[in-house]
Amino acid sequence: MFEWSDEQVMIRDAVRDFINKEIRPRVEEFEHGDTPPYDVLRKLFATFGMDAMARERFKRQIEFERAVEEAKAKGEPVPEKPTREGGSDPSLTMLPIIELCRVSPGMVTAMGVSMGLTAAAINSRGTIAQKERWVPDLLTLDKVGAWAITEPDSGSDAFGSMKSTARRDGDEYLLNGSKTFITNGPYADTIVFICKLDEGNPPAERKILSFVLDSGMPGLEQSPPLRKMGMHSSPTGQLFLNDVRVGRDRLVGETEDVPSGGREGAKDTFSMERSGVAAMALGIIEECLELSVGYAKDRVQFGQPIGNFQLIQEKLARMEVARLNVENLVFRSIEVAQAGKGLTFAEASAMKLYSARAATEVAMEAVQLFGGNGYMAEYRVEQLARDAKVLQIYAGTDELQIVAIAKDLLRR
Amino acid sequence: MREVDSETMKIVVCVKQVPDSWAEKTLGADNTLDRGSVDAVMNELDEYAVEEALRLQEAHGGEVIVLSMGPSQTTDTIRKALSMGADSGVHVIDDGLHGSDAVATSLALAKAIEGRGADLVIFGSESTDARMSVVPAMVAERLGLPQLTFSSSVSVEGSTVRTNRVTEYGYDVVEASLPALVSVVEKINEPRYPSFKGIMAAKKKKVETVDLAGLGVSADQVGLAGSWSAVEEAAARPPKAKGTIVTDDGAGGTAIADFLSAQKFI
Repeated sequence: MFEWSDEQVMIRDAVRDFINKEIRPRVEEFEHGDTPPYDVLRKLFATFGMDAMARERFKRQIEFERAVEEAKAKGEPVPEKPTREGGSDPSLTMLPIIELCRVSPGMVTAMGVSMGLTAAAINSRGTIAQKERWVPDLLTLDKVGAWAITEPDSGSDAFGSMKSTARRDGDEYLLNGSKTFITNGPYADTIVFICKLDEGNPPAERKILSFVLDSGMPGLEQSPPLRKMGMHSSPTGQLFLNDVRVGRDRLVGETEDVPSGGREGAKDTFSMERSGVAAMALGIIEECLELSVGYAKDRVQFGQPIGNFQLIQEKLARMEVARLNVENLVFRSIEVAQAGKGLTFAEASAMKLYSARAATEVAMEAVQLFGGNGYMAEYRVEQLARDAKVLQIYAGTDELQIVAIAKDLLRR
Repeated sequence: MREVDSETMKIVVCVKQVPDSWAEKTLGADNTLDRGSVDAVMNELDEYAVEEALRLQEAHGGEVIVLSMGPSQTTDTIRKALSMGADSGVHVIDDGLHGSDAVATSLALAKAIEGRGADLVIFGSESTDARMSVVPAMVAERLGLPQLTFSSSVSVEGSTVRTNRVTEYGYDVVEASLPALVSVVEKINEPRYPSFKGIMAAKKKKVETVDLAGLGVSADQVGLAGSWSAVEEAAARPPKAKGTIVTDDGAGGTAIADFLSAQKFI
């Protein structure tokens, strides 16, 4: 794959048209007015039939999983996984991410955490009953999801320093702890809460468990949105749990015996998150480059367009190199998925590291190219530069991606 | 008069590919549009026509065929209508059609519609490039169909189509028996975006191509040579002239009134 196909271009143009009509004119309201992004995202989903497609795909998945369970129960051979149809083309997810990031990357964060991380955490490890209970509404954004792992004292060292606990209490569990920097935290209906099972053993040996919580449960408090540097259209908050009582039906998988002590489940989720960041970076880079080329042609200084100056040309050329590289990474991840393979953890990390750095560099250089205007909110690159920075921090910092890549190289 | 059976109601919706309204347009040596220099899009008003056809199909069942005449890139516009939900396409394409005026175009379109058993033919009321608004009426005349133009609403009941025809004073309610031809204005609906599924499905839908021979039209009836009108000369719009600034020294109102009166605005 070296370019978007005719159908992908049609999808891109249709989504771009929607965003230009529905989101671009209201960007100020989403970025600075505390208007939550969910209604307009739901409209986006419904407009393009993404909600119906997600429901259909989920239905097929559950039918297949049921057939597998029944076959296993009867001792019959397990049915083969049905071949994927066009509907599962990853570009159908990537294109809206790229287009949204040209205007309001925070929207993608809010959407990705809800439909991506939260739904996937339940969908990959939950029982069929749990999937049916929570996943469909998350996939369509009818319910807003949050995936809560980070704590005030546990960021990059997510599992090592985790203080949140689950204690057995009869057939139930009591959950305690506080989580922070939780995307969608203030508005989430469905929360996947990750914690350690406290059996009186040393924290390092404790199992990692995930529980599904509903907003409004006694003992669960969701903070208002936190103020932050960028990604203003994505509400971020804190969660406080004080003896939240849950039954086993809310323990993801309904078992404490999770492979690798529960760490693998979260790792799968990390991998998915990392490839999504490359698509986000591409959207930011494309928009910055387009704005910068336009400005270089129009802005006249010393009697000529600034695009005539080689120092400006150097910036534009570097932006184009970044765009080409990140686009190729996105194409690669689409092709890998279409071939039925997945990126390795280290590959996903490499992709995330490069794309996040490229997006920040391009956006900051765009601000520089725009000069004083670039520092003004009116010229758009200011917002994109603030938004881009978090790509190097969330979903694993640059430093953690480097560790993941190096570990993989040195293990060979 | 034809009773519409929900299983067989057939709608032909005509769409035109036009240069993007915002693009700088240039003419070629023969005074026809240089299509290579501009982005081509579906004529905006035709999106309303497609939407109305799809809504009627949703209400009554049947089939929507999208028809367009133009060079090879017109396929993109036909695909767009198919991705919105139309069932199949007809592309009238022939080098001999280059430069056809409204009369010649209406002949080719009428021939392409003829014999398809259409209960309803729907057009947008004008194209954003030529802005003549005459092709729907000409096609209706050639096909001997009642014409219900400038419609801001369309409904079909049994063998009758009823529209609100926009006028200077409001609207007239117009009725005709099927088959009939309708042209729509932009007030009629809000065109849908194609769904992702619709876009993926569009490439599998059938698009029939027809040339002049297939239409039974001879080359001297269409194209630059067969057109009744010709563009002899074209000039760029003159640059905007400098405006008149009225300084209000107490008699500003009078000065403005005098200016407007001199320009015959008041």
